[in-house]
Amino acid sequence: MTENNNRDIPKDTMIEMIKVGRNYPPDIQALSDISLTIETGEMFFLIGKSGAGKTTLLKLICNMEMPSNGLIEVAGYNINTLKGKDLALLRQRIGVAYQDFKLLGDRTVAENIAISMEVSYKKSRAIKHRVRDLLDQLQLSDKHDILTGELSRGEQQRVALARAVANSPRLILVDEPTGNLDASTTEQVMELLNRSNKAGATIVIATHDASIYQGSNNRIMELQNGKIHSVTRGNS
Amino acid sequence: MNFWIAVLRQTGRNLRQTWSSQFMTFLTVSLSVLIFAFFSLIYTNMLGAGDRLSDDLSLIVYLEDEPGPAMQEQLRRKINNFDEVESIHFISQQTAFQRFADQLGEDSDILHDMPHDFLPASIEIVPLKSLRGYNQIKLLSEYLASLPGTEKIQYGQEWVERFYHFMRLLTIVIILSGTLLILTATFMVAYTIRLTILGRQAELELLRLVGATNNYIRAPFLIEGILQGLMGSIIGLIALYGLFRWISVHFTGPGILNLFQFDFFSPSIILLIILASISLCSIGSYSSIRKFLQI
Repeated sequence: MTENNNRDIPKDTMIEMIKVGRNYPPDIQALSDISLTIETGEMFFLIGKSGAGKTTLLKLICNMEMPSNGLIEVAGYNINTLKGKDLALLRQRIGVAYQDFKLLGDRTVAENIAISMEVSYKKSRAIKHRVRDLLDQLQLSDKHDILTGELSRGEQQRVALARAVANSPRLILVDEPTGNLDASTTEQVMELLNRSNKAGATIVIATHDASIYQGSNNRIMELQNGKIHSVTRGNS
Repeated sequence: MNFWIAVLRQTGRNLRQTWSSQFMTFLTVSLSVLIFAFFSLIYTNMLGAGDRLSDDLSLIVYLEDEPGPAMQEQLRRKINNFDEVESIHFISQQTAFQRFADQLGEDSDILHDMPHDFLPASIEIVPLKSLRGYNQIKLLSEYLASLPGTEKIQYGQEWVERFYHFMRLLTIVIILSGTLLILTATFMVAYTIRLTILGRQAELELLRLVGATNNYIRAPFLIEGILQGLMGSIIGLIALYGLFRWISVHFTGPGILNLFQFDFFSPSIILLIILASISLCSIGSYSSIRKFLQI
């Protein structure tokens, strides 16, 4: 990346949002007046009812959508002004597990996970090793060569998560990671995310599932009707 | 994995996933190259044949009377003033008679009772090699016909006229087939790449989201275009060579084709055709990338 857009941001700040809003035509206000700072290495939970704006917020952070107003900086870069190679390089450092998974149904599980590493030109051997390791951690070793279109929703969700963490990104955004999972698999998923977090990744999780944040001492931000309702800390 | 390995792997995936449309494009490009190269081959060979035949091209001006030395000089000056020529030979009635007798050989005795001046005197004019175009010859012939004392002009008008008309027709065919090659190759490749792009929107969106650079996303499509141009032209030229060999084998011996030396393209022309095909297909691919691959 060629330019640091905000040199005043402390080095340990991963996400900075100031008065961010997002409107959809004709007059739907999905988010308004969101100001928020997430530190590097933090695990941060976004909660709220369906339609509260959690997914929209994640989409804004990863530049999948542009804010209608306000400033968003990721790792010190104004993500909405980055273009071309700079934007691509920043995106390589952000892993996203989307709510709709965005898996390629005609590709195998291994190929889907490998995509995030291929774009940053990792060596084939390293990619293969990383894919097998992640599948082991998520109890999906036997699905290595299965097309993702043939997997259950729960399995697809784990593959999407594996792809998000595969490239060892600095920031991981996860949208409803446990929505289709049983308790045991939820535990595996959270273990994987905790491991990434301990390795230094900043993690933002949007969830309905109280069981994954109530026991932690991480910050939890609740959205209501597109606005920040509260920011609290979990009771570990 | 470096950039090119990743891109080539992606190209392989594209080709596998859209092999049927890729194959149709490849066939179209091959056929276009075959049609164009076929007519070009005929054209270049006919040009060569025309060159060889025009080596013997001369105009014969039959005169009403035998010109004296002063008249010869006048005529020579008038002809040279009109157009530069390679040579001018005056053939006297006596020389014409002698030539005729030589041509008859053993039968020359039939000329015994004939007067030695029964054949007309003539001028043999060999035009410059660079001025042997149909129009130049025609102009020179018209000028010679207008000179006083000229009885008739002969230079195989009918044959020359037909040959030049045929060459003109062939030129039109070459231009049309060349245009066809350009249009079909460019549009077919553009269309195929467009189909590939539209059919893979989900994957392309994902690639963008996981941080693929523009070059990483675009390069495979451009390589597809280059491969179409390369493979299409090679196969088209191989097919043409097969056709050329078949014609050479089946039309040897006495026949019209034997009048001409029938040659295949030189390596430099082959390379030129391949490069042109690659360029056109790349342009087709690039135009689709620009239009449909908004990154």
